[in-house]
Amino acid sequence: MRSLLKLSAIVPVGVVVTLTATGLAQRPAPAAKAPSAADATARIVKAAQAVSGSLDDAGRARLQFAFDSTQKTNWSNLPSGIYERHSLRMGDLTPPQKAAVTTLLQTALSADGYRKVNEIVRGDEVLRNGGPGGGGGGRVNFGEAEYYLAFIGTPSMTTPWMLQFGGHHLAINLTMAGTAASMAPSLPAAQPAKYTFEGKEIRPLGRENDKAFELINALDAGQRSQAILGSTVADLVLGPGNDGKVIQPEGLKVSAMTPAQQTMLLGIVREWAGIMNDAFAEPRMAEIRADLPQTWFAWSGPTTNGSAAYFRIQGPTLVIEYAPQRSVDHIHTIYRDPTNDYGAKIAAK
Amino acid sequence: MIVGAGSSTSAHRRDEYLQAARIAIDPDRVRVEVDLTAGIAVADAVLAGIDADRDGAISSSEAQAYAGVVRQAVRLDVDAAPISAALVSSAFPDVAALRGGEGPIRVVLLASLPPLGPGRHQIRYRNAHRADIGVYLANALVPASDRVAINGQQRDAAQRELIVDYELRPSRPGSGALPFAASLGVAVLVLGALWWRRRSA
Repeated sequence: MRSLLKLSAIVPVGVVVTLTATGLAQRPAPAAKAPSAADATARIVKAAQAVSGSLDDAGRARLQFAFDSTQKTNWSNLPSGIYERHSLRMGDLTPPQKAAVTTLLQTALSADGYRKVNEIVRGDEVLRNGGPGGGGGGRVNFGEAEYYLAFIGTPSMTTPWMLQFGGHHLAINLTMAGTAASMAPSLPAAQPAKYTFEGKEIRPLGRENDKAFELINALDAGQRSQAILGSTVADLVLGPGNDGKVIQPEGLKVSAMTPAQQTMLLGIVREWAGIMNDAFAEPRMAEIRADLPQTWFAWSGPTTNGSAAYFRIQGPTLVIEYAPQRSVDHIHTIYRDPTNDYGAKIAAK
Repeated sequence: MIVGAGSSTSAHRRDEYLQAARIAIDPDRVRVEVDLTAGIAVADAVLAGIDADRDGAISSSEAQAYAGVVRQAVRLDVDAAPISAALVSSAFPDVAALRGGEGPIRVVLLASLPPLGPGRHQIRYRNAHRADIGVYLANALVPASDRVAINGQQRDAAQRELIVDYELRPSRPGSGALPFAASLGVAVLVLGALWWRRRSA
C-alpha cells in the first residue's frame, strides 16, 4: 500500500518532468540567459513594498526619504555613537519586519553580495561581544541592531529611487532607475577581517584580498615596478565625504597586462560590482570590461599574502580602493563610479 | 557562536592625525584642500591646539587661527620656487564630533602661479603639520583644464611630500588671439572712418 502511495506520488512528477524535457528538447537550445533586469527590478520593488507595508506610520517615516534629500550622502564607515544615522534601525524591528528586510536584501543583492553583507554585519557582533577592536570609549554601539535601512525616493519600476543599507563598516547605496542600477558609492569593510562562526572560518573580504595578491604576484618585475607606489597609503583616498572627486590615476595601465592578468583583475572587480543583483552586475561588468584600456592598477605595501597592502583599481567609470588600517584584521574599501555615483547618470535619463 | 581572531586593533584610527590633501592644478593657480581627521586618542591634543581659551567650543577666530597654522605648515613650490598660498576657507566639526574621531577639519588654500610658458612644470607640496602624530595622504586631482596634463606623481614614503610633474599646453588659438584680432579690426575701422571724415571735410 505504502509503495503504491509512493508510486502515485512519483508518477505525476515523472510525467511532468518527461513532458517538460520533451518540450524543451524540441525547442532550439536557448543560450544561457542572465536574469532579466525588468524581472529583478519588479522583485526588488515588491520586496521593498513589503518592508514598507510591514511598518507602522512611525516606522515608515524613519524609512522613507525624498529622492532629492540629503539622506543620500548620510553614510559612513563609523559605528553608531560616533556617527548618527537617521533611518530605520534594525534593532527596532519585530521578527516579521526583520524577515522582510532580509528578503529585500536577498532580492536586491546577488547571493554572494548578500553573503558578504551578512558576514560584515556578523563581524560587528564579534566587536559587540568584546572581540578584538571592540570598545570605543563607552559611547560606541556595535552589533546587528546598529544597521539602518532607508528608501530614498519611493520604490518604483519607473522612477528613480535608492535603497540604502548600512552601519559600521558597511554602506550599500543601490540606486535604481527603471531597469538600470548603480551601486556606487558603496563601502564594504571588515573588522575583524577573520572570525569563526559555528566552527567555520569567515573572511568577509577574504576573496578580494587573495585575488589581489594573486594578481600582484602574477605581474613580471617590470609590471610590478610600475604598479607599486613608493609610499604608504594610510587610508582610503576617496572614502566617505569625498563625493565628486577624481584623483589622477596611477600605477600600471591594464592595457600593459596580459589577457590572463586582465581576467584576474576583472575577477577582483567583480567582488565589488557583483554585490548587486546579477541582472545589474552583468551590464556593469561589461561597462568596466570595455574601459579596461583606460584602467589602472596601483599597489602599496608588501606583496606576500598575509601582509597589509593597499590597492586601487581606477578607470573612467570605476574606483575601487582596498585599504588595511595598519592591520590585516581591519579593512576599509570603497567602490565608486565617478560618472554614476548615487545613480547620477541613470537617474538623469 | 562567534569567535574573533587576529591581532588586537582599534575600531578606527585612534592615535593618528590623518591629513589628506588633494591638489588641483590649473594653468594659473593651485588649489589645495586638506582634510584633517583626529583619532579619538589624539583628539584632545588636537583640540588643545585649536580651543585656545579652553572654553570647550571652537570660535570663528580660533578656527581661523588654526587654519592659519595649517597654512603655515604647508609649503608649495612651482619649478623649485616657493609660492604663497592664501587661506580660502575652513570648516570645523563641532567639538563632540572632533573628540569622537568624526571629522574632518577642512582647510582650503589657493596659490596663484607666476606666468608659466608651455612645457613641463613641477608643483611640490609639503605638509609639516603635527608630524608627531600625523599620517598623510597627498594626491593630485584630474585637472579641470585641458591645458594641464599630469605626467607623474612622486611622494616620500609617508606622503608628507608630493611632487606633481605636469605639462602646460599652449592656450588654444582663439582663446586670446581672437579678442586681440577683433580689437585690432575695430581700431582699423575707427581710424579708417576718421581718415575718411577728414578727407571728406
